[in-house]
Amino acid sequence: MTPLLRLRDAAYETRGELIVAPATFDVHAAERVARRCRDEREARALAMMCAALLRATRGSIVIGEYDPRVQPVHCKRLVGYVAHDPLPLARDDLPRFVEYRAALWEIDPVRARAHVDLLLERLHGVHEAFAYPLAVALLPFPQLLVLDRPHPAFAAHVLAAAGACAVLSTHLDDEGARAYAPDAAEVYA
Amino acid sequence: MTRRTLRAIVSARLHAERRAIAFACATAAIVGFVQPHGIAAITDPLSADIATRSVWIAGPMFFCSAIAIAIALVQGPGRHAYLDASETSAPLFGRELARAKALVPAIASLLAAFVYWCAQALSGFPAPPTFFALAIACVLASGIVALNATVRRGVGRWIAMLCAACVSAGAYALAVYVDPPVKHRGDAIGVASELLFCAVVGFLALREYGEALARYDPA
Repeated sequence: MTPLLRLRDAAYETRGELIVAPATFDVHAAERVARRCRDEREARALAMMCAALLRATRGSIVIGEYDPRVQPVHCKRLVGYVAHDPLPLARDDLPRFVEYRAALWEIDPVRARAHVDLLLERLHGVHEAFAYPLAVALLPFPQLLVLDRPHPAFAAHVLAAAGACAVLSTHLDDEGARAYAPDAAEVYA
Repeated sequence: MTRRTLRAIVSARLHAERRAIAFACATAAIVGFVQPHGIAAITDPLSADIATRSVWIAGPMFFCSAIAIAIALVQGPGRHAYLDASETSAPLFGRELARAKALVPAIASLLAAFVYWCAQALSGFPAPPTFFALAIACVLASGIVALNATVRRGVGRWIAMLCAACVSAGAYALAVYVDPPVKHRGDAIGVASELLFCAVVGFLALREYGEALARYDPA
């Protein structure tokens, strides 16, 4: 079975500093994969590389059948990315934000609103600042959800909301990694 | 990119920058009122022509260009992180995003230039429409050039900002000093050369901005 995400010695360095050490792993459909990273910069850069937001300086990454270096737009249609930082958005501003995100992905605004309401119901109990970005990331029905250092306390809700979507998360500790990949035999580091 | 997507990006950015735009318009109104409009009596027609142009064009061109550059610079990453994150993770090509983001300083600076012109009109000295068009062309070009500074770091950023200032100065020089030696053609050469210069610079800067956005490294 062709993996959804394939990294082969993918590394990232900037200004002579190695941020992401060469990584080789696959993520298949509906799989939960957690990666433990050295520090915040590595976790953020690895998550962005896997979401086609950052180009690997070495090695290769394939998302679906596309190379993010050549076809980043095709890759971004397959991946939803949730940053580590909370979203500073008030509840009153949510409809406007959902409409905005729906327009970026060319989704019908009424269906988008209904979908977000459903996702927020599943994420009941998760703080709004973390639930909103997750809900809007799942709006275009991505095949792969990439989470940058998600909070371990919300793991059950997040995985339930993701449903059949594959989930790749980066973490700084084993506890978080185990929470987001409960069935994994080992946590990659 | 559909019109809906374009409208969403532009309206979200304009909404996020509404206070900065209101402030820009307010300062444009004040400067439009207080700008010196009169010129001393000059008997030499060539000197009088240059003096008239320099007085009419300098204010709107330089002040509104400064506004365009400032509003372009605040489009850079960091100020509205959630908009940046949404735009970069959306399935959009760099050139499409560049066009949408360039519209924001363009609309804001056009609004400021129009307010400036209205203030001039209310104070009894409205600039001729041709001069207003020249100022708008300069403002748009310098704003688009300044956008390139938002996706660069270090020396590259300063060079892009310097280029934006040079575009204003170059457009001003073309608009004011090109025509007088060629009397029989009136304003035509100055106006045409300034508009052409701004169109070419704006087009190249927008292309470069699109390329830079496509290559942009957010880490």
